[in-house]
Amino acid sequence: MKQFIIRRLGYSLISLIVLSLTIFFFVRVTGDPATLLVEPGASEADIAAIHHQFGLDRPLVVQYLLFMANLARGDLGQSFYYQMPVSELYLSRLPNSLLLAAVAMSFSLLIGIPTGILAAVRVGSFWDSAGKLFALLGLSLPSFFVGLLMILFFSVYLGWLPSSGSGTALHLIMPAFALGWYFAAAHMRLMRSSMLEVLGSEYIKLARLKGLPQALVIGKHALKNALTPVLTLAGINLVLMINVAVIVETVFAWPGVGRLLYEGVSFRDFPVVQGVVILGGAMIVVVNLLVDILYAVIDPRIRLET
Amino acid sequence: MSTTTETSLLAAQLPSRFSFVRSRDFPLIPLLILGIIAFVAVFADLLAPHDPQVGSLAARFHPPFWLAGGSTDYLLGTDQLGRDVLSRLIFGARVSMVVGFTAVIFAGVVGTTLGIISGYLGGWVDQVIMRVVDAWLALPALSFAIFLAAIVGPSEMNIVIILGLVFWTRYARIVRGEVLSLKEREFVRLAIVAGCSKWTIMRRHILPNVVNSAIVLASLMLGVVIIAEASLSFLGVGVPPPKPAWGVMLSDGKQGLMVGYWWLTVFPGCCIMLMVLSSNLLGDWLRVKLDPQLRQL
Amino acid sequence: MTASFDGGPTNPRRGRPLRATRRDVLGLAALGLAGATATPVHAAAPAGQLTIGVHISLAPTWFDPAETAGIITPFLVMYALHDAMLKPLPGQNPGPCLAESWTASPDGLTYDFVLRPGVTFHNGDPVTAEDVKFSFERYRGTEHATMKERVASVDIADPRHVRFNLKAPWPDFVTFYSSATGAGWIVPKQYVEKVGDDGFKRAPIGAGPYKFVSFTPGVELVLEAHDQYWRKTPGVKRIVMRVIPDESTRLAALKRGEVDIALSIRAELAEEVQRTPGLTLQAPVGSAPYWMYFPEQWDPKSPWHDVRVRRAAALAIDGKTINQALTLGFSHLTNSAFPENFEYYWQPPPPVYDPEQARHILAEAGFPSGFDAGSYTCDIAYANLGEAVLNNLVAVGIRARLRPLERVSFFAGFGDKKFRNIIQGASGAFGNLATRLEAFVVKGGTYAYGNYPELDELFARQATELDRAKREELLFKMQQIVHEKAIYAPIWQLAFICGVGPRVAQSSFGLIKGFVYPAPYEELTLKGA
Repeated sequence: MKQFIIRRLGYSLISLIVLSLTIFFFVRVTGDPATLLVEPGASEADIAAIHHQFGLDRPLVVQYLLFMANLARGDLGQSFYYQMPVSELYLSRLPNSLLLAAVAMSFSLLIGIPTGILAAVRVGSFWDSAGKLFALLGLSLPSFFVGLLMILFFSVYLGWLPSSGSGTALHLIMPAFALGWYFAAAHMRLMRSSMLEVLGSEYIKLARLKGLPQALVIGKHALKNALTPVLTLAGINLVLMINVAVIVETVFAWPGVGRLLYEGVSFRDFPVVQGVVILGGAMIVVVNLLVDILYAVIDPRIRLET
Repeated sequence: MSTTTETSLLAAQLPSRFSFVRSRDFPLIPLLILGIIAFVAVFADLLAPHDPQVGSLAARFHPPFWLAGGSTDYLLGTDQLGRDVLSRLIFGARVSMVVGFTAVIFAGVVGTTLGIISGYLGGWVDQVIMRVVDAWLALPALSFAIFLAAIVGPSEMNIVIILGLVFWTRYARIVRGEVLSLKEREFVRLAIVAGCSKWTIMRRHILPNVVNSAIVLASLMLGVVIIAEASLSFLGVGVPPPKPAWGVMLSDGKQGLMVGYWWLTVFPGCCIMLMVLSSNLLGDWLRVKLDPQLRQL
Repeated sequence: MTASFDGGPTNPRRGRPLRATRRDVLGLAALGLAGATATPVHAAAPAGQLTIGVHISLAPTWFDPAETAGIITPFLVMYALHDAMLKPLPGQNPGPCLAESWTASPDGLTYDFVLRPGVTFHNGDPVTAEDVKFSFERYRGTEHATMKERVASVDIADPRHVRFNLKAPWPDFVTFYSSATGAGWIVPKQYVEKVGDDGFKRAPIGAGPYKFVSFTPGVELVLEAHDQYWRKTPGVKRIVMRVIPDESTRLAALKRGEVDIALSIRAELAEEVQRTPGLTLQAPVGSAPYWMYFPEQWDPKSPWHDVRVRRAAALAIDGKTINQALTLGFSHLTNSAFPENFEYYWQPPPPVYDPEQARHILAEAGFPSGFDAGSYTCDIAYANLGEAVLNNLVAVGIRARLRPLERVSFFAGFGDKKFRNIIQGASGAFGNLATRLEAFVVKGGTYAYGNYPELDELFARQATELDRAKREELLFKMQQIVHEKAIYAPIWQLAFICGVGPRVAQSSFGLIKGFVYPAPYEELTLKGA
């Protein structure tokens, strides 16, 4: 077990280094940040000064090594655009992202779990189709479209909810729903298949044979077991949500990490892009690692595979 | 899982080969919708009443024909540059289909190939490929797509390549998992004993057995790719104008939503929704039919 | 995303007398105000809160004038927090601010500034000559090399008198000191030395009409009125700048009254503002002219080599319809590739739309049935303009394909001289006519794909010309040649359309010519306040 964890940790570290290399070099071939900090037609001296200020006049390899050395010390560098430490920027956005992701996940599970159970228990019924359709709809509409329709209806037309920004619980509702709905279908699918699997298992058959009422069998015995994989996926998706919320954050002016990354890309703010991607990647890698270890603890056979 | 697998297997063994068409969960409507979209895409030149890329600023924002101010010249109205929405939708079907399918196939071919190689060869090859897969999976897909778009510049072709590069890892992971278990199966061992080369085994014996999973995944990915294409357009790096992709129409028209020019977004929005919904329903069905193992996708 | 692209700041227009007496200045200021504030003069004490929905992410680097980048966006914040020795003011460019007057020596080597008495920073410290010298020497933003290279020294005579000594006469010194750089914006020396550069950005203190209260990156900036501001007491107590990146969402926020001013509301959304009772549009025009450029005009094998073909392209543009459709007619149609509000601007004849004539000239040039013109490359943020112009070109037989590129790629490719056929571009760069000509027309210019020796020769002559009238003549001549050779086919000077809510009495848009933001902020007032 110990060896398994050590090997897994090693893989995770290698993945993170590959990630850092990928992001470091990719972001640098996307273009020169100086182009955005001056107007077209600016003098060469101005551009050279900017390059020097950001250390972009050094060889790429040197830049990378410096970046890694600083990273090891927990320093993600200084944003070109904001002229602030990236770690500070990231930490100021992270709570918003976590909050949004947590509420979005609640919406997603609220849609995904009941529809998944219905689809498994009442195969082919009206509620199965309706639930499935509703969950799949979230996957079928781009979230900016959903978001704008909601703003139009709930903010402009009905006047119930603030159109954008953050601060109160009311601000959260629309962005969280738009984000959560997209993920609902995945949770519904897993809930359905996991429920079917559990319902087919011996002990449920036994429970039924004992004459326990259907609702009790499903509600208590089956659900408890079927939920585990769904919640695992939810854990992974929670981290994913933090990183993919860029569209929803843009539409609703929600100050999260996704928006920070998107701006970083558009402004060619290399330190921000590197920092956000690596921290986000680290989160995903860590969650995957935890899931792996968790499963290895539950099922020792997994340890034997790589 | 066993009971449902058995029933579906039974269904497949029924005398008539096409009996499944009549089974109640057969996705007839989704297939019809995808068929219609494909038909429209192929015959766009014959079907479209106007040039989708040329409009007149004098004819901007005509509403659909059944509303006041609409005309039968422009059945579904005109857009912000006075182009016919219907014609753009028709040609958009072609662009979206081509982009969606090619991206999915491109990602599928790359991912499946690397997945097979990784899973079958094992060792350091596997290590290298899987570490790259892990790293790429940890990259936020949309932002990664934006970099790539910034590097190669927006064009239909490049969008396909970008989406392919972003999504191949999903195939690689699943295919590799399957190959790991296939490797231990009798027929593969026999092939090794018979002296087949590694490449022959991978091509002749492994590939046919993972194709089903790849197809199921592809049908589900089609929706993901179409939505990703629309999202890239929203962020300004999608299929470049004046090409009428549905995602572009939706994101170009979004300004009109606040203003009452709903036809600019609602029609392409519906097209995207129908296509993604259909491919997902089809994918869900295929998943049950072809590959029970993939239920957990 | 296109943060830096909504126009440049103003630049000096005609030669204002270098010496202005205090009475002159007050008189002019009063005139400027009288022209601007038609609404009732507000009560003495600032009141209420005004929220501005901002289209771009606010960056703390804009809180420090020393870091002024070569784009206009920092001035959105600087006009509130800080003040300059001289800066563009309503009706005055440059207008005296912290300096109440200035004088140039006849040999053009020294400039004397007299500071306005009794002006203080937000922390109560007086603004002194020390601060002026400190701010200049600390300046490291756009064109700082040029400034430092040409200024030999800054001498302090007493707390109210400061003298700039130049190494050689530099006719554009005041242009650069007042508006083309941030070198003339004054920060408190003592405070900066105490808190350091980073501390300053966290809690900036300036001499502007508004004090810093709080800042949340990517979310909002909160400002409060500086009651003792020298020019006038600000009308609004609190200004909040809220970042709302999506345009439709900004409009929704404006309609709901969540914001009082929404920056950048374009096309259809602007029409909606016009239709909504209580909301009004403001459309200041910045200093970024848009044009088509023909990089192949120096290639004898290209159709673009023929000046008639280039003129035909210019004639084909239906500017009026495009302006009406895309910017509700607010942009200024122009026939010059240079900003109309720049010093030394030469006014060409107005642009003409005549597709018949365009076809006719094309036929004369040997293309009776038009020709395949290749690609039309543009910044994707302005692809809608590109599509519209392209439709016009196709209509006269110049058949080209749109090739929109993301902004960074576009300017990189443009500067690396990689594009062919037709380029649609724009520039809101600081400076004056000479600096624009240098970058876009003269041999070796960043964006000049070729050159005409006669223009290079004129340019060299004007650079050493000390006599203003003679220099103007040379620069006029150059612009005339650019026009006659149709090196560029100008389209428009873009309007920056913004929405204003019902609570706002004076939004102060357009008070400063060529400036697209609602400045000066002290002019802002709310109704009933």
